[in-house]
Amino acid sequence: MEMLDHVWLGILAVFQGPALFTLFGIPVPVALVMVALGVVVGIVVGATPGLAGPMAMAISLPILISIFGFRPEALLPVMGFLVGVMKGSTLGGAVPAILFNTPGTPDSYMTTLDGWPLAQKGQAGKALRVAHASSVMGDTFSDLVLFVCAPFLAVLVERYLDFPEKAALLLLSLTFIAAVMGGSVGKGLISMGLGLLVASIGSGEDFYPRLSLGQPALADGFSLATVVLGVLVLGEVFKGLEDTLREQLGKAQEALTMTGPQHLTGSDLRRILPHVGRSAVIGTVIGALPGIGSTLAATLGYTLGKNRHAKAGKSPAFGEGAIEGVAATEAANSAVSGANLIPVLSLGIPGNAAAVFLILAADSIGGFNPGPGVFRMPATGINSEMVIAFGLFTLMITANALNWTLGGAVMRASGIMVRIPRALLLPCVILLTLTSIYVQDPNMMGMVLTAGFGVLGYLMRRFGISPLPFVIAFILAGPLESTVRQAFSATGGDAWFLLDRPLAAVFVAIGVWVVVSNLRRNRSEKGA
Amino acid sequence: MTASSRSTALALVVAGFALVLLFLWIPHDIQTGIVERVRRRTAIGDALAPTVAAAVLLLGALVLFVERRREATPGLSGESLRFLLSVIALGAVSFALMRWAGPVAATLAGTDYRPLRASAPWKYIGFVLGGWVMVFGLVTLVERRASLRGAITAALMVALLIAVYDLPFEDLLLPPNGDL
Repeated sequence: MEMLDHVWLGILAVFQGPALFTLFGIPVPVALVMVALGVVVGIVVGATPGLAGPMAMAISLPILISIFGFRPEALLPVMGFLVGVMKGSTLGGAVPAILFNTPGTPDSYMTTLDGWPLAQKGQAGKALRVAHASSVMGDTFSDLVLFVCAPFLAVLVERYLDFPEKAALLLLSLTFIAAVMGGSVGKGLISMGLGLLVASIGSGEDFYPRLSLGQPALADGFSLATVVLGVLVLGEVFKGLEDTLREQLGKAQEALTMTGPQHLTGSDLRRILPHVGRSAVIGTVIGALPGIGSTLAATLGYTLGKNRHAKAGKSPAFGEGAIEGVAATEAANSAVSGANLIPVLSLGIPGNAAAVFLILAADSIGGFNPGPGVFRMPATGINSEMVIAFGLFTLMITANALNWTLGGAVMRASGIMVRIPRALLLPCVILLTLTSIYVQDPNMMGMVLTAGFGVLGYLMRRFGISPLPFVIAFILAGPLESTVRQAFSATGGDAWFLLDRPLAAVFVAIGVWVVVSNLRRNRSEKGA
Repeated sequence: MTASSRSTALALVVAGFALVLLFLWIPHDIQTGIVERVRRRTAIGDALAPTVAAAVLLLGALVLFVERRREATPGLSGESLRFLLSVIALGAVSFALMRWAGPVAATLAGTDYRPLRASAPWKYIGFVLGGWVMVFGLVTLVERRASLRGAITAALMVALLIAVYDLPFEDLLLPPNGDL
């Protein structure tokens, strides 16, 4: 079977999958319903300061698995919901940024710079429409790049990389993530080292579970859900709780009124399109590199757009309520989400928290292992993983279509979410997370360990250490160790296998260069 | 303590931990070496991965030490530490209630909890008490006062979780019923 046959089977897997109900005699596939639900939940969550897309993905995963079970047919509905949340939350993040000068997600901070002045001028409706159009355009562009690049890259990896090169590539990815996440290379390496260490506990090939201190609780190692939910979700919630404790409560919100036309005109579209195009490319390139994230994309998109805008002498300037400012930011941060899946699907390397949860879903359900093997052409028959990958692409297009059509209305209706006090919301998220861990693995020790990882995540944040290299190192440690073992055996016990092969040596050299150049860049930036 | 000295302290603590890992924990808690010979073939042993982790930690500490003048480390203030300890204490009380409230109630009623763990209201006692105390306690901690809305929110959240996880699914167990 050719790749195009797999594409077609992927589309059919979504549209001819199990039906949830029939509408006017037409069966409505469950995967499509789940995408639609995911988009709505994502927009609402993104519009709620203190919550984030990955948090909703984490909490909903056990509920979804309980509903759909551990069967291969569960993959598309579950991943469809998660993809919907991922895309919707990027859109929703702009709502509080524009209406209340409060970024719903960190990457929406730049949206406040022009979105809030626009809202103060009575143009909140127009600002929301600009954010909606730019976000969806950026996201769609990024998805198209993903659909083309991921299979191509995966085929290249499978064809040209042997075990030593794959091991070197995994090392390079880890080094890259450690070096670029957060401000400090040293802290990135510490985070990565801790992730590698935690992944070592209770694992290994020997009969004795290594580093388990003879404790049964450590002998089985830590599950991905325990570590990810603890460090990423509970750690963030603990920090958010303390931040809420310190903040002034009951800040009065400025009442907004809307004046003048709020819809997008052709002239508005002509003004924003160049900014959307530039930012979409920036976001896609940044998204394809694991670990960098949408906040940098938004900052770069905004800064470059601002320079262009200033050179052209257009008015109003960025920062004074320019719709171009909102467009430049929203297109850039939304373009990250699709491209972030390029390293996941082609190399098995998660680049951001949302990708981590997609891997967690695939890992929990089984039957789909993100990595180059997904796009391997079978000698005979079909590669079911490739069908699922193209089904996932179909769901992403569907999510974009829903964002285009329904997203704007849901976005405007979600403004009310900002009024939910974080002091009430965050404790509920803690109980919800711990309960969801327990229903996946009914063991009180699992809840205690998750809470323990939450404390670790909180401490990492308080010491300025990004938790993402920790989580990504934890995920990649197993594949890295097994690839290194295989490479060592395949080369006949050659200890220098990472340097003997030219391509592997190039990857190692790039890894060293990334660390050194980031150190030098940080020195010059902070010394200035 | 300045931000720079906090970076130094963090680098030293991490370096110390990495050295303990390298020279005490790994040698005493792993039964194979970095490389071992199995059936006349050389293979990688279980000690390699944690040794690499320790080396990365050590390298990170070294780089952070070099960066210390430029890299500000926020650190844990006394207020943050008090907050963290309060959260841990609250968590411990909530987990204890969740784990033991049901069995204690069953004992007081003169029966064993295990046969009752799948039947209402017994199966909810631990989760309702522990979950309510956790949410209400955290809301109270953050708002610095006990409020009716905190109590109602906690009760609603516990009820919502029972409705989401327990009522529709027979195979899902709320804490602590899977342990007992």
